[in-house]
Amino acid sequence: MNIKDVIRAEEGEIFDIELDENVLKANAKLAQQNRELLLKHGVNSIDVMGSIGAGKTSLIEKMVEKLKTRYRIAVFKGDLTTTIDAEIISRHGVDVIAINTGKECHLDANLVHKALKRLNLKMVDLLFIENVGNLICPAEFPLGSEKRIVVISVTEGPYMVVKHPFIFMDADVVAINKVDLAEAMEVDVTKLGGDVKKINPKAAVVATNCRTGEGVNQVIAALKL
Amino acid sequence: MHEGAITSQIVENVLREAEKRKAKSVLEVHLEIGKLMFLNPEQVRFWYQMLTKNTILEGSKLMIEEKEGVVKCPKCGYQGDFKYINDDPAFHVPTPTLNCPKCDGTVEIIGGKECLIKKVKMLI
Repeated sequence: MNIKDVIRAEEGEIFDIELDENVLKANAKLAQQNRELLLKHGVNSIDVMGSIGAGKTSLIEKMVEKLKTRYRIAVFKGDLTTTIDAEIISRHGVDVIAINTGKECHLDANLVHKALKRLNLKMVDLLFIENVGNLICPAEFPLGSEKRIVVISVTEGPYMVVKHPFIFMDADVVAINKVDLAEAMEVDVTKLGGDVKKINPKAAVVATNCRTGEGVNQVIAALKL
Repeated sequence: MHEGAITSQIVENVLREAEKRKAKSVLEVHLEIGKLMFLNPEQVRFWYQMLTKNTILEGSKLMIEEKEGVVKCPKCGYQGDFKYINDDPAFHVPTPTLNCPKCDGTVEIIGGKECLIKKVKMLI
């Protein structure tokens, strides 16, 4: 007999195991816990996302100046490294916790959870969480905040919105900053705002100049603060 | 964008399940990845190969089912694909919007953000 091959039964049995396990559930669960913790203490929270250098910190500075007599404000400032921006914000007399992610390109619910534990939440009415400058990853990692604002600026060119549609889908408010430079940049602010509205008709769009404070009151109103 | 970190979590979770059941080896891992997640299947596969080396997952088949984005309109009840805008030829991929394709309502995303380990085939 001509044996071509021998098939050996493997020892043991093969099982199909249904897992249905959500890989991102750890972050989602922690985000929910953050939300509950904030709600329990009556803290309103706003996630400030946006591109690098768009003016997230400047917008927070301007809002803090206008709101600090009405609310007890705290700020979490996310950055890969350095406390430069955290120090800038703290000069306005509010509590700032710097969150350095090291290498990660976004904040996650766990880092925010750690920062929340360092705050006396009874002494806070309003929390701004400034995310790492990035229009991609923060859309994927909810932090547990009540509202989300995305800051972009005209110096990033005319296609910043359509190139990153997903982050704008999650936004309650979108600030288009540095409008004083729009002409020099040949960027049409109305068109940019129209792109946001096309992608997410629910988002409020505000043109700002965070140097002078133009538009900041409208941002505050859009955030219902 | 986070293929490395997320694949490492997938491998860890499957290893944990396999150890719990005292599996001899893992033959197949079935994933479900939503197209709205920033996860590129090609990069997930690359990381999977790297991260399973010298584990009982080494050589196992990775099956990735991609799930389309699904939206639902609370106003007219439409359920299905996004409405897209692509009025600029510079964009190869049309831009999805939250506008209802059927009425003037605003839709909610109900699918396409999955990142699931659906099923694992193991030898026990």
